[in-house]
Amino acid sequence: MKQRVRSDTTMLLALGGMALATTVLGARKPARPPRQALRRQAGREIPMHIAAASRFNHSSSLLALSVLADSAVEHYRGSFKNPAMFIPLVSASLSFFAGLHGGHDRRAASHPVRHGIYAFAAVAGIVGTGFHIYNVTKRTGGWSWNNLFYAAPLGAPTALLLSGGLGAIGERLRDQPAEDPHLLGMPAGSALALAVSAGLLGTVGEVGLLHFRGAFQHPAMYAPVIIPPVAAALMAQTALTRPRPRPRTRWWLRLTAGLGLLGMGFHARGIARCQGGWRNWSQNIPSGPPLPAPPSFTALALAGLAALRLRQTEK
Amino acid sequence: MQHPRARDRRAPDVFRKGGWVPMREYPCDEEVDFVIVGTGAGGATLACRLAEQGFKVVALDAGAWWRPLEEFASDEAHQQKLYWTDERICDGENPLKMGGNNSGKAVGGSTVHFAMVSLRFRPEWFKCRSLLGYGADWPIDWREMWHYYDEVEQALSIAGPINYPWGPPRKRYPYRSHELNAAALVLARGAEAMGTAWSATPLATVSAPQGKSPPCVYRGFCVAGCATNAKQSALVTWIPRALKAGAEIRDLAMAGRIETNDVGRAVGVEYFRDGAWRFQRARNVVVAGYAIETPRLLLLSANHRFPDGLANSSGLVGKNLMVQSNQAVWGVMDEEIRGYKGPPSLSINEHWNYEDKGKDFFGGYAYMSQGPLPAGWASTQNGRGLWGAELSREMQKYNHQAGLKIVGETLPQERNRVTLADEKDQYGLPIARITYAFCDNDKKLIAHSLHFMEQALEAAGGKEIWRQEDDTCHLNGTARMGDDPRTSVVNADCRSWDIPNLWICDGSVFPTVGGVNPSLTIQAIACRTADRIHAIAQRGEL
Repeated sequence: MKQRVRSDTTMLLALGGMALATTVLGARKPARPPRQALRRQAGREIPMHIAAASRFNHSSSLLALSVLADSAVEHYRGSFKNPAMFIPLVSASLSFFAGLHGGHDRRAASHPVRHGIYAFAAVAGIVGTGFHIYNVTKRTGGWSWNNLFYAAPLGAPTALLLSGGLGAIGERLRDQPAEDPHLLGMPAGSALALAVSAGLLGTVGEVGLLHFRGAFQHPAMYAPVIIPPVAAALMAQTALTRPRPRPRTRWWLRLTAGLGLLGMGFHARGIARCQGGWRNWSQNIPSGPPLPAPPSFTALALAGLAALRLRQTEK
Repeated sequence: MQHPRARDRRAPDVFRKGGWVPMREYPCDEEVDFVIVGTGAGGATLACRLAEQGFKVVALDAGAWWRPLEEFASDEAHQQKLYWTDERICDGENPLKMGGNNSGKAVGGSTVHFAMVSLRFRPEWFKCRSLLGYGADWPIDWREMWHYYDEVEQALSIAGPINYPWGPPRKRYPYRSHELNAAALVLARGAEAMGTAWSATPLATVSAPQGKSPPCVYRGFCVAGCATNAKQSALVTWIPRALKAGAEIRDLAMAGRIETNDVGRAVGVEYFRDGAWRFQRARNVVVAGYAIETPRLLLLSANHRFPDGLANSSGLVGKNLMVQSNQAVWGVMDEEIRGYKGPPSLSINEHWNYEDKGKDFFGGYAYMSQGPLPAGWASTQNGRGLWGAELSREMQKYNHQAGLKIVGETLPQERNRVTLADEKDQYGLPIARITYAFCDNDKKLIAHSLHFMEQALEAAGGKEIWRQEDDTCHLNGTARMGDDPRTSVVNADCRSWDIPNLWICDGSVFPTVGGVNPSLTIQAIACRTADRIHAIAQRGEL
C-alpha cells in the first residue's frame, strides 16, 4: 500500500511538473528573428549555434519530462516488476534537469556531466527498446497485432533515446566554431533538422499504432498522423535544400507544437470518457490514453524551430 | 421490479443514473404497424430498424428495464434477476438447465447477460444439407448474410482481431481486439501445440470509447450483466436507437396471446402489464421471444381457426429445438490465471468448425477460454460432487484454474421440442414443457471435443485435468425457416407461411445452429428481415 501511495505521488508530481513545463516552454515565442533574439541577452551577442544548442537542451528537457511521466505511469501499471523499469525514471529525470541547466548555459563548450547524462539517456533508450522487443516476442503469438498493441510499447523507449540524442547534439554543437558549425559531416542546421525529422517520424509510428488500437474512434485521432509527417517532410526539405527563409515551415512547426498541447487536452478528455472519469483518476490515468505522450510533438517541434533558425543563417 | 418504468412518454436512460429519455407512446386502440413480442437480439434489432424506416412500432418485453450503472451489482446471486427463471418443466434424456446460460428476462433480452461472443457462421452451414450432408438448408445465401454480419458488427462496434484465421475475408472489425488475459493465453499455447490456429475472440464489448459507452474495464462480470455499459447489448445499442426513431417499448409486459380475425390474419397481442390484461392492435405481429417463449406463445394462441397453434400447419412449431453443447475440460496451471479478469472468452479456436477431415460426426464446434465467477465455479464443483472440505480445497485452486469450453453444434431432431404443460404460471398461462435428448451424433461431437481439448490443455501445462460433461447453452430452432411451407414455419423473410402478417424473428427460425454463439446471426437475420419488410412494403404487399 505504501508503495502504491508513493507511486501515486510520483505520478502526480510528474504530471504536474510536466504541465507546468509545457506551459512555460510552450509559451515561448520561437518566431523572433535571430538577431533580435541575440540582443536580448543584456547587450551581449550569443552565437547562433549556442542559442540553437540551448533550445535543443530545452526540447530534450521537455521530451525527458514526457518520458518521465509516461514511464512512471506505465511502469507503475506494470508494478515495476523488473527493477530495470526504474531506469527510464532516473535517466529521464537527469535529462530533464540537464536540459534546464543547458537551456540557460550560454558557454561555447559542451558540459561533460550533461553530455554524460545525455549519453546515458540514449543508451537507456536503446536498451529499453531491446527490453520492449523482448517483452513483445516472448509472449504467445510473438509479433502479433495483439502483442504490439498491449505488450510493452516498442516506440516508447525511443523517446528517451530522442531526448538523449537531442541533448547530445546540442552539446556537440557547443564545441563547434561559431562560424560555419558542422555536425556529422554536414552543416549543423541540416543535421539538427534531420534529427528532428527522424524523431517526428518515429513518434508518428508509435502514435499511428496506438491510435489504430483505439480504432481512430475520434476524428481528432487522425491529426497526429497527418500533421507531424508533413512537419517531418518540411524538416527534411530544410536540411537537404539551400537555406532560405521558410515561413511556412515555421508555421507548420508551430502547429505541430500546438498539436502536442492540444493532444494532451484530448487525452484528458479521453480519461474523462473512461468508466468513472477523472473521479476514478487512479485507475483511469494508467489505463486511459497516456496523458504525457502528446507533448513529445511539442518538444520535437520546438527543436525543429531551433534547427530552422540555425539553418537559415547557414550558407 | 413490480411496476413498469416506460410510461408517461418517457423511458429509463440506460446511460445516466436515474435518467430518463423521451419515448413516443401509442394508445392500445391505435392500430400500429408492428407489435413486437420480445426485445432481445431479434426483437430489439428489428424494432430499431423498422422504426428507423418510419413504421409505428410497439415492442413488449416481459422483463424489467434496468439502468446498468446503478442496478447491476457485483453479486452473482443478485444478478439472477436478469435470467428467465419462471417455472418450466424440463424432461427428456438430457433435461435442460434453464436460466443464465440460455435465456434472459429483461429489456434487451439475454444480450444483457450474454458473453458477447460475436461469431459468423461458416458459409457452408447455410447449405449444410446440400454441401455437408446433415441438418437442413437455410433459404438464405451466405453472401447475403455476410453483408448483414458487416452491418451488425458495425452497429455493435465489435472488438475483433485484424486477421481472423477462419472463413472467407470479412471487413475489418470496427474496434481492435482486447488484451488477452492469462486464461486466453492458455488456449493459445494449447492450440499452437496442437498445430491449429487460434484467435482473439470477436467480442461485443468496446476496446475504446463508443458514444456513451466507456471502454471495457475488464471487470469480468459480463455474464452477470455489465455495470459500465461497455457491453454492446441490445439494451444500450438497438433500444436507444429505436426510441430515438419513435418506437415505444413497454417493459414488464407479458404477451399471453396473439389474436387472429375471421380471415386468418393477426390483429394484435393480448398482454399483461401493471396488473391487467390489455390488448394492442397492430397490422403486423412479430414474435421474438426466443426458442422457448416463441413456440409457447404460438401454441397458446391456438383458436378455432388454428387449433394447433398459429403458423403451425407444418406441425413444426416447437419442434427441432437445438441447444449447443457446452462441455469443458479444466485443469490447474502452475502460474496464476485469474480467468475472471476480463471478458470470459477472450480467445477462441474454431478449427473444428472449418475442418471436416478426421471427424466421425456431422457439424462442428468452437472452443473458448473461460473465466468462471466464484459462485458459478463453486456450483460447477458441486456438480462434480464436491462438498465440505473437498470443495474448500478445490476452491483454493481457483486462481490457478484454466479451462476450455465448447460451443458445439447439435442436430435438429423433431423429438426435441417445446409443448404446453398443464401447469400454469403466475400469469395463469400454461407453462412450457421442454423435452431434450442428445443424439448419437451430438455425443460423438462432444467426445471428440473433450479428447481434443484435454490434449490441448495438457500441452499448455494443465494438471489435474477433469471433464465437465453436463452443460448446454443457447436455444434455437422450434420455428424453422425454409423454402417449403410443409417443412418450415417461416420463409426466408421470417414471415409465417400460414398468416401473412405474422412474423417470427429470433433464434427460433434457425434450421441448424452451427458451432458458434448465435447472437450475431440472430441480429443479422433481424436486419435482413427489416430490409425485406421495407421492400415488401414498397411493393404494397405487407
